[in-house]
Amino acid sequence: MIELRKVGLKYGDKEILKNVSLTVQDNTIKAILGPSGVGKSTILKLMLGLIKPNSGQVLVDGTDITNMKETSLYNIRRKMGMVFQGNALFDSLTISQNLGFFLRENMKLPEEEISRKVAEQIQFAGLEGYEDQLPESLSGGMRRRVAIGRALIFKPHMILFDEPTAGLDPVSSKKILSLISSLRHNNNLGAVIVTHIIDDVFNVADSVAVLYQGEIIFDDVTEKLHEAEHPFIRSILSDKILEL
Amino acid sequence: MPVTFIQILGKKLVLQLKAFFLTMQEFFIFSVRAFMSFPKIIRYWRDVLDQATICGTDSIPIVLVSAISIGALLAIEVGNLLEDFGAKTMLGRSTALTVIRELGPLLMGLMLSARFGSRNGAELGAMQISEQIDALRAFGTDPIAKLVMPRLVAALIMFLPLTALSDFAGLQSASYMAEHYHRIDPGIFWNAVYPRLVAKDFVVGFLKAPVFAVIITLVSSFNGFSARGGTAGVGRSTIKGIVVSSGLVLIANFYVSKIVLENM
Repeated sequence: MIELRKVGLKYGDKEILKNVSLTVQDNTIKAILGPSGVGKSTILKLMLGLIKPNSGQVLVDGTDITNMKETSLYNIRRKMGMVFQGNALFDSLTISQNLGFFLRENMKLPEEEISRKVAEQIQFAGLEGYEDQLPESLSGGMRRRVAIGRALIFKPHMILFDEPTAGLDPVSSKKILSLISSLRHNNNLGAVIVTHIIDDVFNVADSVAVLYQGEIIFDDVTEKLHEAEHPFIRSILSDKILEL
Repeated sequence: MPVTFIQILGKKLVLQLKAFFLTMQEFFIFSVRAFMSFPKIIRYWRDVLDQATICGTDSIPIVLVSAISIGALLAIEVGNLLEDFGAKTMLGRSTALTVIRELGPLLMGLMLSARFGSRNGAELGAMQISEQIDALRAFGTDPIAKLVMPRLVAALIMFLPLTALSDFAGLQSASYMAEHYHRIDPGIFWNAVYPRLVAKDFVVGFLKAPVFAVIITLVSSFNGFSARGGTAGVGRSTIKGIVVSSGLVLIANFYVSKIVLENM
């Protein structure tokens, strides 16, 4: 379980997050919806301890990680997988090397074990035959699937997605969303999805938090979003996609 | 009105000073963490070798070109000057001192600041804006140990032989120009070089190599890690890295010479 308690964050004079509180339960998919540049990705980085809040607390499985040292955070972070918006694949490494990178880096596993786990993820992502290709030679959807495979290889409890369908064509978007749904059903994984596309929320999320001007203006099960009366939510429900 | 203007100016100055000291603090912590990662050298020895090839072997051509051209130019100009005093036979001595103590290491430092420093800044900056550095941290790898420490170790190892190469090439080209331009016999040239050189001359020159290695690697890497704002941001951080490290190389060159020459 991940919990944000009254988190505040400033960049210089600009207040990004104001008293943000939200909880992500295990084995559920939570979406964080909001326009671009509002601080959604920042919330994911706070959950991983990549950045520290100015106020409030971040808890992972009951452990306060707000002021935890970087070396201690590495163990916490292995409970979560992260799929970055731009995938953040290592462009000088092949797909297999990208998938196996963190196993080789951080786990003392025999090479055969690593190769087996990499082959599993290649199969899961439907990328057989692309093992030795560099990320630049793959399509956007394929790269996203590699990034998901890389996040899953540690067998995390929770996976964090930063705009999982951004920049993808409708077919690839659909594939990624069904992949996310299957993770929860087949692997009992929880997920946090940051998005500005409202259809993604209705397609996969159990609950949704709407971030607007640095504040959470809605946090409930997805079905109740239709009942929300906040003018911003009414406007996004009619427009379906938030202004970029 | 003037009071308001002074107040605004003062506020801006305070903010800039605050930003400067914050950056210095971050750079200090970054540098300490890079040195503290040295025990992980066994784990990242392949990265050290890769970086040694980039900053060492691959830099040989640019170091040679700069050392040969400056050595030749120095021989012509200093030879002309010495000729006025009838002391052309001293060309070997004066060239050797200038090349070994100052120009050899300095040119090598500036060339590597441009070549190795720009590569570090651009590569790490691109990794920063594409979130690859965040990805390393997110999956439990220390990016400073993985990306900066190997560069630092490689530079510390490779800058010494590059300095020696720069000195050697500079003196060889000076000797060639002394023979073909000033008609000085190579025997006379090299006789003026060897017997007169003392340990101090080599200490001054070779002490600069590790100092430059630390400055260039840490400044360029720090700027790469600090890149923000897309591709333009990578450009800005790369330029900043080269400008700052080149400036610091010039300043360090002066102080290392001054300190060693005054104390040896």
